[in-house]
Amino acid sequence: MFGWKSNRPSRYWALSAVSLLCTLSGCKKPAEAQPAAPILRVSQRNEPATLDPQLATLPDEFFIIRALGEGLLTPSPANGAPQPAVATHWSISPDGRIYTFTLNPEARWSNGTPVVAADFVASLERGLTPATAAPKAALFFPLKNAEAFYAGREKDFKAVGVRALPDGQLELTLTEPQADFLSLVASGPWIPLHRSQLAPASSHEKSPAAGASPKNYIGNGPFMLSAWRPHQAIIVTRNPTYRAASSIKLTAIHFIAFDNGDSEERAFRAGQLDVTMSVPFHKLPAYRLSQPPVLRSVPQQETRYLAINTTRPPLTDPRVRQALALALNRRTLTEKVLQGGQVPAYTFIPPGLAHYESGLGLQEDLTAARRLLAAAGFPQGRGFPHLELTTWYPASVLEVIQQVWRRELGIEITLAQREARTHLVALAAGDYDLALVTAIPDYPSAANLFTQLTSGHPANYPHWHNAEFDRLVRAGNQQSSQALRHRAYSAAEKILLEDMPLIPLYFNMQNFLIRPAVKNWQTDGLWTRFFAGLTLD
Amino acid sequence: MFRFIFRRLLQVIPVLFIIITATFFMVRFVPGGPFTAEKAIPPEILKNIEAHYGLDQPLWRQYLNYLGKIAHGDLGPSFKYSNRSVNEIIADKLPVSLELGALALACALSIGLTLGVVAAVRRNSGLDYLASSLGMLGICVPTFVLGPLLVLFFAIHLGWVNASGWYTAADRVLPALTLGLVYAAYIMRLTRAGMLEVLHQDYIRTARAKGATEFRIITRHALRGGLLPVVSFLGPATAGILTGSFIIETIFQIPGLGREFVNSAFNRDYTLVLGTVMLYAGLIVLLNLAADVVQVWLNPKLKFA
Repeated sequence: MFGWKSNRPSRYWALSAVSLLCTLSGCKKPAEAQPAAPILRVSQRNEPATLDPQLATLPDEFFIIRALGEGLLTPSPANGAPQPAVATHWSISPDGRIYTFTLNPEARWSNGTPVVAADFVASLERGLTPATAAPKAALFFPLKNAEAFYAGREKDFKAVGVRALPDGQLELTLTEPQADFLSLVASGPWIPLHRSQLAPASSHEKSPAAGASPKNYIGNGPFMLSAWRPHQAIIVTRNPTYRAASSIKLTAIHFIAFDNGDSEERAFRAGQLDVTMSVPFHKLPAYRLSQPPVLRSVPQQETRYLAINTTRPPLTDPRVRQALALALNRRTLTEKVLQGGQVPAYTFIPPGLAHYESGLGLQEDLTAARRLLAAAGFPQGRGFPHLELTTWYPASVLEVIQQVWRRELGIEITLAQREARTHLVALAAGDYDLALVTAIPDYPSAANLFTQLTSGHPANYPHWHNAEFDRLVRAGNQQSSQALRHRAYSAAEKILLEDMPLIPLYFNMQNFLIRPAVKNWQTDGLWTRFFAGLTLD
Repeated sequence: MFRFIFRRLLQVIPVLFIIITATFFMVRFVPGGPFTAEKAIPPEILKNIEAHYGLDQPLWRQYLNYLGKIAHGDLGPSFKYSNRSVNEIIADKLPVSLELGALALACALSIGLTLGVVAAVRRNSGLDYLASSLGMLGICVPTFVLGPLLVLFFAIHLGWVNASGWYTAADRVLPALTLGLVYAAYIMRLTRAGMLEVLHQDYIRTARAKGATEFRIITRHALRGGLLPVVSFLGPATAGILTGSFIIETIFQIPGLGREFVNSAFNRDYTLVLGTVMLYAGLIVLLNLAADVVQVWLNPKLKFA
């Protein structure tokens, strides 16, 4: 038929010979563990979907975007007030509606041209153009007519409250005063794009800023994009045209992709990484004892809470919600179960968020919890329906909560794990009883978190409505006096704690590993990293 | 034979069509979409984004549009990586997976075949027990245990290779070994069983009677029949091994297609899910065909029907 029947043993041996190659390949030593030039190697947990500041959504993307560009203002390390960046100073009109920014004449794009007010105008126009489909467009909405332009009701961008003044200043006009507006201006999506990356706004996929080609990426940040190998590494090198180039001591940063905490930790031990993103839970005790110390912990302004579906009986009854919240012992949860330095949360707002400290908080009280449950018609949990507590990852803390409620209140809860996006969709649709949720504000502002719980907000997962709460939050947002603003927020927070549409559990802690040679590593509580002054011995 | 191959290739078209259709609708009926985010996006903004990607059109029209595109070889844009197309992602990641897969396969074959033959020829000897125990161990120890163990020893303790990455030739060793050893164990067991059966056949006794050397008997006469079970195993196994392994790629941070395949489902990156599923399905069909051809070639009792 094919003449293949003749005996040709060579065929079999050819197979084996090829296969032997693998055992011979690669006996070389790996690249030197510690590079000679000051190159920082940082773990990058999520592969960026984009490096376009207006299209990005994840903190992981903004780590890199903030190395490549900067806005008028920048957040400050240790959760301070926003710092000048491209803007050197600014003035606010007495009615709190008009902000005038003076730009730094030294500010340059990486191609050498100056950063001017018109760049910000053009960037905002692109961000608000519906075809750009910027997921964070809402961060521009405080500008006058911005929302109308985005929705297509206003066709002329000239009507939007942003204007380049003849003397080179940038003027922003707001619809109504907004006290935390400067924090908003310092947020990532406000980072401008170079004109060459703006047009045409409609070709989303082809935006050079989205990183199609590093060569075309023009930024105004301390570093320039020099290589992007998806799921492997993103390399940025020092930008000589940066306005404060002398403050940048590193020649390059390698953002090395890891999507697994264990692999990352092994790479750190093998000397391939200077800074990790996290530490595997079971390794924490060992690293707490390590010498020299490499473990670092930064409190995050991130609230983990249980959302209560306030539309489902018996959870419609605030007494039931109170009972569930008061029965837990948060210190036990953080110290005995989580053990990662998390801070017990007695309220929704993390401590120190934009200097807002109300001192309010729920008082854990088992007796009160049992009394409230009985008053709601469920003495010792009798007659209480079987509820489900959903989560997107197997959190041991939920098993403890399940036991506590069973033991102390006599109620049965089933734990259910849903895939992450299925969980989010169920939250938004109100298709759950109780659910684990994490809340991270978009920018450092208590208002941002409070607003999430106002009626009809897409992140109002408890589907809770309280007209007085809505009114107080809105009043606080517009109040320019910090004392009066905080008074309004406190009143709103008090309602939140009385009506209890959610059960705060803890504020998160970021534990990560950092080589002692890395000096001046600074972060804030919202995952921002700061590159100025960073050195490597 | 060519008619046989041609006919089988024609069958690929309806198979792929059914797979594409089923996947297209299944992935759409999963809750959530590519733009479902932890920080909820206001509905008016979400509407704009969906309009931008044509996700606001009726599902049947999206399906027809998609079919039209793939007929021209365009797998569409990725929903997650807005600046890359699915074609680009596959072109970028597939070679990495192929390289890892080829190395792992080579490892698996060289170790598995050698041990299998030795174990069968020296049946019930110490060597056989050793090889069989290694085979059992290889099957029982999962890659997510073996991989980190190899890293701990060779990368962290001895410092011979990197713990992860895909840069130098040395970076290939541990992943290829980890992935290869599991398959080596299967191949070893199949080879041993196949060889044992063949070594008892009359034609082997005839060969011995004619005075052939033991080496010649094994390589010329026994191996041919003994390899049959291995070949039928290798068809689908090669497809799996070549298209990447999510676990290995995650442990060693290898920029391969296996991770994209799994993550695309979590990201609801519809086009990337479809692109990778299509690729995998195509490879499995083709490699099964190749296995069938090799079977006929090795087994004189079989013919191309």
